[in-house]
Amino acid sequence: MPSSIKPFYLLHKLKSNLFTIGFFIPAFLYLVSFFVIILVFLLKFSFSEGIPFLQLLSADDFKAALWRTFWFMGVGTPLQLVVGLLLALLIQQSFKGVGVVRSFFMIPIAIPALVTAIIIDLVFSYPFGPINDLLLGRHGFFPQIVSVPINWSGSEPLSLGLAILGKTWRDMPISMLILLAGLQTIEREQYEAARTMGAKSWQEFKYLTLPLLTPAILTILILRSIENWKEFVFPFILAPAYPLLGVLIERLYHVEQNPALAASVALCLVALIGITTLVFTLITKMVRKYLVRV
Amino acid sequence: MYELQLNHNTPVDANMKSIRFILICLVLFFIIFPLFMMTKYSISDRESIVTGGEYPEPFFPFKPNLEMFEALSIRKDFVGAGLTSLWVGLLAVAFSLFLGAPTAFALARFRIPGVAVLLFFLLSVRLFPDISAVIPVAELLLSRPFSLLPPVVLVGLAHTLLALPYTVYIAKGVFESIPKDLEEQAHVLGAGKARTFLKILVPLALPGLGAAAIYTFFLSWNEFIFAYFLTFQGTQTTLPVYLLRILSWSPQKNFISAISLVICIPVIIFTFLVQRYMREGLTAGAVK
Repeated sequence: MPSSIKPFYLLHKLKSNLFTIGFFIPAFLYLVSFFVIILVFLLKFSFSEGIPFLQLLSADDFKAALWRTFWFMGVGTPLQLVVGLLLALLIQQSFKGVGVVRSFFMIPIAIPALVTAIIIDLVFSYPFGPINDLLLGRHGFFPQIVSVPINWSGSEPLSLGLAILGKTWRDMPISMLILLAGLQTIEREQYEAARTMGAKSWQEFKYLTLPLLTPAILTILILRSIENWKEFVFPFILAPAYPLLGVLIERLYHVEQNPALAASVALCLVALIGITTLVFTLITKMVRKYLVRV
Repeated sequence: MYELQLNHNTPVDANMKSIRFILICLVLFFIIFPLFMMTKYSISDRESIVTGGEYPEPFFPFKPNLEMFEALSIRKDFVGAGLTSLWVGLLAVAFSLFLGAPTAFALARFRIPGVAVLLFFLLSVRLFPDISAVIPVAELLLSRPFSLLPPVVLVGLAHTLLALPYTVYIAKGVFESIPKDLEEQAHVLGAGKARTFLKILVPLALPGLGAAAIYTFFLSWNEFIFAYFLTFQGTQTTLPVYLLRILSWSPQKNFISAISLVICIPVIIFTFLVQRYMREGLTAGAVK
């Protein structure tokens, strides 16, 4: 097309499509503006004078939080996978009342995370709370396991453990649904074929269900890892003395009034999530190759 | 969410059946236990929760009562927080639908070059973790000129940001499922594009848009991080943040549980209602 006509052509296209454009421009502008603002701000503040970003790498607080969050992710992710798998297997087959059971299994995700965290805090309260009562043998039916009440929020592994417990409880339905969808894709004929060859239930599971579930399992591992990296509410309420990265961001912003440092940690978090996603994507590719070969 | 097809006829041993039954009971206990405790505490009298170590906490309160709820209903700050949450939710729904429905319509109906790129940009803001994104958003909305807006609007804007991508996604699916013939008929009868949109498509899309609205409302109702940062200084705040503020005063178990229960109730009721409603709505659509 001759270059002198091109601009008119584009203008004409623009005019006739004004309606279309007008339709999606508002949402588009809204979301893209925020995206740009967030990205630019995080970058600008991380590399502003004094380069808070570099300060960060040597700060003990930061390294401790990073390590803790890594552990949180390392323990939480497999746990959430196993729990989700258990739930999915339990309601996979149709039985009387399976719909009701499924509805109940979905409840945790409907409860706000803050409320769940607070309930856990109340139940594990120190020194006099239901769990401590139980462990001290105060109830007849349960043996005494400890002689002094446990201070759950005063100990790093215990308080982080509670945070993992809360997160796992709340997000059970998500893992369950993804794995359930994965289980549905395995055809019945495969199970019947396995049975005719004399496979027992656990053999079916190990050699048939698990390998075929690998895509769903990998999906969950990626999603849960990302979720665990950025977790804020549960550690904020249950383990405030041992901050994870998210809690550290809040502390830097509100308590220490240091938006630049908070932005640096925030940027770090984004980068860590990006790296994790990349690593898992590579692992997924390798696993796919391995499966195809076998 | 569509009806899952369950494997109906896979043979299961009797042993497996009993194991499965026991496990289901354990899981149900695990799920119900926290909710039971919350409800129990909210109706507890003082002796049932402040034991001083003399006796274990009872499984059921000695003298259950509704004192906490009465006390809450006359507290101005609690009722204020409830109203704030309500307004924020409604604002978020309104913004999301006004921005999202037309966008979804355009994506579903018009041939746009580079749709994939557009979709990527629309979803891109959700790539940032909430706790990272909240810093820039709070810095922006808490400084002039935005700080002049009432906090309800600020939090509503933030929640719109969170809910918009999903709203567009749902609405796009809804519009794609409405046959094009209806629009063509309207054109034949002389209606312009805007009229077609308002008078024909929107009514048909209402159930799906309703689902998106409900999702947005409860996203906003339960949302904590953005509400916390945006209402950090100031009295007016949403229910979850109010709950946190009360928590910092080391309140009694029954008080804090009562507030928690009130926050939860609308969500649980609606979850059950929506599940039924969505099932009905979808089958009705299939018959058509």
